Parts: sequence; structure tokens; C-alpha cells
Amino acid sequence: MDDATSKSFDHPYTVLGEDPSLVIPPAESRQRPTKVYFWILTSTVFLLSLAGLIVRENPNRAENSIPAAGTAIPESSQDNVRFLPVGEAEGVSAKSYPSTRGRLSFNWTAADFAWQRTSYHFQPEKNWMNDPDGPLFHLGWYHLFYQYNPDSAIWGNITWGHAVSRDMIHWLYLPLAMVPDHWYDIDGVWTGSATILPNGTIIVLYTGDTNEAVQVQNLAYPSNLSDPLLLDWVKYSDNPVITPPTGIETDEFRDPTTAWTGPNGTWYVLVGSRLNTTIGVALVYETLDFKNYTLLDHPLHTVDGTGMWECIDFYPISTNSSVGLDNSATGPEVKHVLKASLDNLKLDYYAIGTYDEGNVTWTPDDPEMDVGIGLQVDYGRYYASKTFYDQNKGRRILWGWVNETDADYDDLAKGWASVQTIPRVVTYDSLTGTNILQWPVEEIESLRLNSTEFEDVFVEAGSLVPLDIGNATQLDISVEFEIESTQALEESMLGETESQLECSVADNRTTLGPFGLAVLADESLSELTPIFFRLAKSNGSLKTLFCVDETRSSKATEVFKEIYGTVVPVLDGEKFTMRILVDHSIVESFAQAGRRVITSRVYPTEAIFDKAKLFLFNNATDLNVTAAIKIWQMNSADIHPFPLY
Amino acid sequence: MVWSCKFFSSPITQYTRKQTEPIMRIPPPLLFPLSLLLLLLLLLLPTSHSSSSSNGEDLIDQTCKLTPFYDLCQSSLRSSPSSSSSDLRGLAQIMAGSVLDGANRTLGQIQQLLDRSSPADPAADQPLAYCAELYIPVVKYSLPQAIDALSKGRLGFAVYGITDTMNEAGDCNKKISSGDGSSSPVSDGNMLVMDLAAVALSIIKVLQKSL
Repeated sequence: MDDATSKSFDHPYTVLGEDPSLVIPPAESRQRPTKVYFWILTSTVFLLSLAGLIVRENPNRAENSIPAAGTAIPESSQDNVRFLPVGEAEGVSAKSYPSTRGRLSFNWTAADFAWQRTSYHFQPEKNWMNDPDGPLFHLGWYHLFYQYNPDSAIWGNITWGHAVSRDMIHWLYLPLAMVPDHWYDIDGVWTGSATILPNGTIIVLYTGDTNEAVQVQNLAYPSNLSDPLLLDWVKYSDNPVITPPTGIETDEFRDPTTAWTGPNGTWYVLVGSRLNTTIGVALVYETLDFKNYTLLDHPLHTVDGTGMWECIDFYPISTNSSVGLDNSATGPEVKHVLKASLDNLKLDYYAIGTYDEGNVTWTPDDPEMDVGIGLQVDYGRYYASKTFYDQNKGRRILWGWVNETDADYDDLAKGWASVQTIPRVVTYDSLTGTNILQWPVEEIESLRLNSTEFEDVFVEAGSLVPLDIGNATQLDISVEFEIESTQALEESMLGETESQLECSVADNRTTLGPFGLAVLADESLSELTPIFFRLAKSNGSLKTLFCVDETRSSKATEVFKEIYGTVVPVLDGEKFTMRILVDHSIVESFAQAGRRVITSRVYPTEAIFDKAKLFLFNNATDLNVTAAIKIWQMNSADIHPFPLY
Repeated sequence: MVWSCKFFSSPITQYTRKQTEPIMRIPPPLLFPLSLLLLLLLLLLPTSHSSSSSNGEDLIDQTCKLTPFYDLCQSSLRSSPSSSSSDLRGLAQIMAGSVLDGANRTLGQIQQLLDRSSPADPAADQPLAYCAELYIPVVKYSLPQAIDALSKGRLGFAVYGITDTMNEAGDCNKKISSGDGSSSPVSDGNMLVMDLAAVALSIIKVLQKSL
């Protein structure tokens, strides 16, 4: 944690305790005794107030504390005037939670903020980041570009940040790749994708927001392809290459995808938009040279009621092997995944289906689980995900942006916002046939230090098992739970009424759940983040819910504390398994080998540093479980600027 | 301490000077030719002292003295015909090339052992296969890019690639040393690569300091 933000932050807010009215007035004269009494009185008042501030457990602290912090507002004038989330006025999706505004900030110390920074997830040294862009592998290096504000910890002045890594874990920061410096991207160099052509040429298509806030698509490419670091980029002299077509709103037209081949040397690219404001659409553009484009008269696909489709992703997936496929692959054992980030919900949805090469259309395998109405890529705090084909190891790799869930004034105070997930390998789940599997890249194992293993841990109904592992803020956990056979359970539950299929809080004890792990928990459990399975009877059979309960993750009141969850298929004979990556304020939880994933952001105030602990728990009223768990301590990824010279 | 010496020496020397005769008196007619001679000597001096720019042997010697393996450094650099006329950056590039040669040879040995091994015991191959996976990106990317980076002045990038090489060779060694010792030519190869890399890194450090 050496890169802790012990540097000075912007402090548009007065931190609690610095109320100017408490400044002791200077003694004007030393002769008159009344001045001395006044001095004593003022000091006493000051000291008492200080003591009052230090006592943090007072639940009415908000009322007693100095009003300055609660009503302080950011210096930026646009925030003074409106309560819209950052970004919406500019025509992109909201980049902050508006409803936390006005809530009092917790009295965070510099050490608290420093603790929140992740140790092995990618994030810039400071300031704001959002969508991952143009990920690719070239000459031995994995490249990540990302939406980045070099000037502030909230969205704005968007550029393409750049970092490289040999293994997608140990990242090295490079200079900015692209900045807003032409009329066609002066209002922001927004999201885009890279395509590697068969001859090795790299082209990038990205959305530029013009000087008139029109969304256009631009072409860029490396100035020197033989530079393994791809430091310098050139924007095509005749940009933009695609402008909004008639009938499409000029501020709902963005995020070009990686291209794939069609017949006769043609290439296809998708751009997301919406029709009649409610129909999400993937528009198809055809090109031979990446400079001249033709809009096809029909989209690849649309789905009613889903609204604007941001960050579309479209890629093939093998149904009979775990090998990744290049974007242009097709064949009998190949399905295609279509994914969109729904602007209306700030959620990433996907569906598996069939691509018709002749018509250039795509049809979901199950129309009831179509894009935007079926499966989510991740059921937590996760957006703008994008995959790429890693030709180095033959894998399909998935990146996802994870925003903060604290208040944006916290972000300004601590000087940074957002992280990326650990990149995940994407494969087809041939056991269910209805979803993808996501799993952290195996290179993450190079961060593993020592491990602790517990086998045959009997966790009976209503019990809590502390796991003595030392540091509990940087962990790679694998756990499997065994319960008595589900058939027996189903039989025993024949008489029971169907329960509401919802995660609820971990404290809510039902017959068959919840059971799982409590991460970032302090000794007294005043703060904890339970990650659990809850079985419930629904539609005549047992279903399994996979959940993360943030409601007690932090005593801070201005942070968002959600309950995330989803039903997860657990097949006959399968144990209930979880893999959990704990990395300070981010927790990534994978159920059933990646069948469902939940990414979570938490900001504990007590369960930090050496006070954070790990527990196994079983809050079910009528179910015992046996757990086998292996916990690895994780090293830092030591992400730092590339020392080029 | 120097302070006090200066403090006291000046009045004393001043004292003694006053009391002695000048050491030498030059007769006026000889003054001009003698000063010409002095000037000539002064002009000749720089050339006999400047080994760094014209005498490559001495540069190799000086440079290798700053590395942890003097003999290895000497033999590697001398084996290249261009080393005697190279500057410091050129020597760094030659050394990086030696690391690449070493890595290529070691990878070759690994691949030979893998080819010869019996298919009946794939488990024995596992450490060697692991080593091959470490060396392939080294010879394909890390070292060629480091050598290229040296020519472009990206010294930090070159340090990265050579350090990476050293780490991979070390990693390989740890993996095979847990075996039965039959991979010892590979172990020798790993040690050589690590030593050559250490020499190359120290040369680049000197180069970085000189800029």
C-alpha cells in the first residue's frame, strides 16, 4: 500500500473538525484578567467539541457535529446548480449515484482512504476512470486503454489512458494515448474498440463527442506498429468516418465494436443506439478499408423496452471447447454472444444466440432471455464491459468497469475513483447450455503468497466459525459447501409453502439459508460483508440464490449498501462453490465456477487493516453444512509508471 | 579539519616564502621558447589520458570492473569484433545480445531434452515444459525488445526486459532444482543467463548515470 494517497487531495469540503468558528481568537492584551478567563472558556469549549467529535460511536453524531461538512458542496459550478448524476447532461450514462448527495460524509482519515485503494486490481494512480477501451495483445504486451479524466476524480475531460502488462496483472502506466484535440472529439475521446487485421495492422474505432455534442465515430491507429508499447497514436486525417444517420438521435450513437469479417473482404462493425427511445438497437456498418462505411438497412438485433444500448459487444464462443475464438470465427460448434450496457439501468446484459452470416442478423437461443431482459454479465456494481480475443494464449478475455459506491465528494476528497475487475476468461457453460462462465485469468495465481486450508469444517445451523488466517484484506478464497442431498431436502420441504425468491439480508434466517462467508468483518461483527447461498423452494423445486449483502458493510452513511443477488443453477451432484477475490474496497465473488458473478464495492470503517477478519457462517434454521476452504494471501501487483528511460 | 589547515597554512607559507629565494630563475631570452614547449606538452597530455573515446580496450576494462562478473564481462564483450570500437551504449547492446545468445542456447537445451524424453513419463517433463514456457517469450519478446530499446535510448525499458529475463531464468532454476538433477545443463544455462543479465544491467546502470 505504498502508493497510498498520502499526497494532498482536493478538499472542496471542510473535513469535520475544522469549523472556523472554533479558531481560538488571539489574546489582545495580557494585562486584564477578563481576557484570561475568556481564553480559558474558549479553550474549554474547543476541547469539549474536539472530544465530542472523537467519540465516533454516537449514532446521533450527525446532529451534534459541526454543520460545515454536511452542507458543503463541490466547487464545480455545474454541481452547485443541478442534482443530476455526472455525465447525463453530456449524453453518456450517469457516472455517479445522485441520491447519496446531501448525506453527511463519514469522517474518513487519510489512512481510511488509503486503505480503500486496491492492491492488485487495475486503477490509475489518481483521478477518474470508466469504460475499458481497445484491449489487445501486441508483441508480447497486453494493452489496456481506459476512459480517464486527467484533471479530476469525477467524470469529465475524457481521454484514453494507457497501461501495459506482460501478464494482465502487473500493469505499468504509460502516457495518455489520445486526448481531445480535434473538433470531432474535443468534448471527449469516448469509448472504442481495437481490431487486429490479418496482416497485423491495428485499427481503433472510437466515439468522439464533437464541439457541438454530436456523437461520431473516428478512426485511429498506432504511429509505429513495431513499437511494442504502442506509445503514439495517429487520428485519421479525414475523421469522423461515421456520423449519426438520419432518424438516429445525435447523442445516442456510440461505442463502436471490434470488427469481424464478412464475405469478399468486407468487415462489419456495430454501433449502439435506440429507436423511438425505448428500443435498444445494434446498428451494422459495412466497410472494406475502415475509412468508408455503409449502414446496413437492417440492424443486427433489437429488443423492445430496453432503451439505449451502450458498449455493445459481439463475439463468437465455442460450444464444444474452452478455447477462445477470434471475432471472425464461425462454424457449427460456434454460438455468438451479444451484450449491451443498458443506459436506463446501468447494468450489463447478454444473451447467447446464433449469428446468420448471410443476413448479418443474430437471434437469441431463448427469446425470453434476450439481451436486456435475461442474464446479466455481473450482478453487482459492474458496467461497460468489453471482451477481446487474446491471440497469445487463445482466450476470450473480459474486462469490466467497477465504479465507486461512495459519494462523489468522497472521491474528490480521496483523489481517485473506479477500478477494473481482474480480467476474466469467458467460456461456454456446456453443462447448462444457457450461460457463459467467467473466471479470473490464471496469471492472478502469481500473486499468491501463503495459503491456509481448512477441511471438513462442520458449520451447523446458526453458527459462526472464525477463520484464523492473519491478514484478511487481500485474499483469494476457494470454498465448497456440502449439504445433505437436495432430493431429501425437497422431500422434507414438500409441505412448506413456496418462499419469496429473494436474497434478503444475511440476518434473515430461513430454513435453508443463508450460509457462506463473511468477508471484511471485524471481531465484533459491527461491520461485515456476507457472501452466501440461500436455498428456497420455488415452482415446486429447490432453487439456489447467490448473494452479497452490503447492508452492514460499513457504518458510513453516505455509501451505497446494496443487496446483490441472482438465482444460480446448481446441477445434480454439484457442491455449492464460491471463489472470492478480496482486495480492500472491491470484492469479486464467483459462484459455481463462474456461472454467476457479483462484484461489490465496500468501504468499512472498522473492519480494515489488521482488524478485518474472515468468518464462515450458517444462518439457516434447519440445515447443516460442511465446508472445505482454501485461502491464499495475495501480494500487491505493484502497479506503477513504466520507467522507460 | 581542512578549514583549520587552510587557516594556519597560509600565514606560515607566506612566512616561509618571504624568507627563501625563488627556486628557479629563467633567463629572459629563454622564456618564449620554453613557454612554447610547455604549451606543446600541455596539448599532448589530453591525448595520452583520454582512453574513453579512442581506446576501446580500456573502456571494456573500465566497464567490466563495474560489473559483478569481470571475467564473464570481458570474455562476452571481446568475443564481439565490434566491441573494441564501441562506446558505452554499444557495449550494453553487445552484452544484451550475449544474454539473448545464452537464453537461446538454454531454450535449445530444454527443447532437446524434451524431444529425447520418454513418452512414458510425462510428469518428469513438467519442469522442463514449464521452463520452455518461461524462455519462449524471453527470446521472442523481452530480449529483442530490450536490445531495440537500447538503440532508442529507452534505457528503463531495456532494464525491464533484462530484469524479466533474469527472473524467468531464476524461476526455471527453482523449478528444475526440485527434480532429480538430470537437467543440470539447463541449470548451468540458467545460471549463465542470470549472470550475463546481471552484467548487462550493471552496464546499463552506468550508461543511465552517464546521461
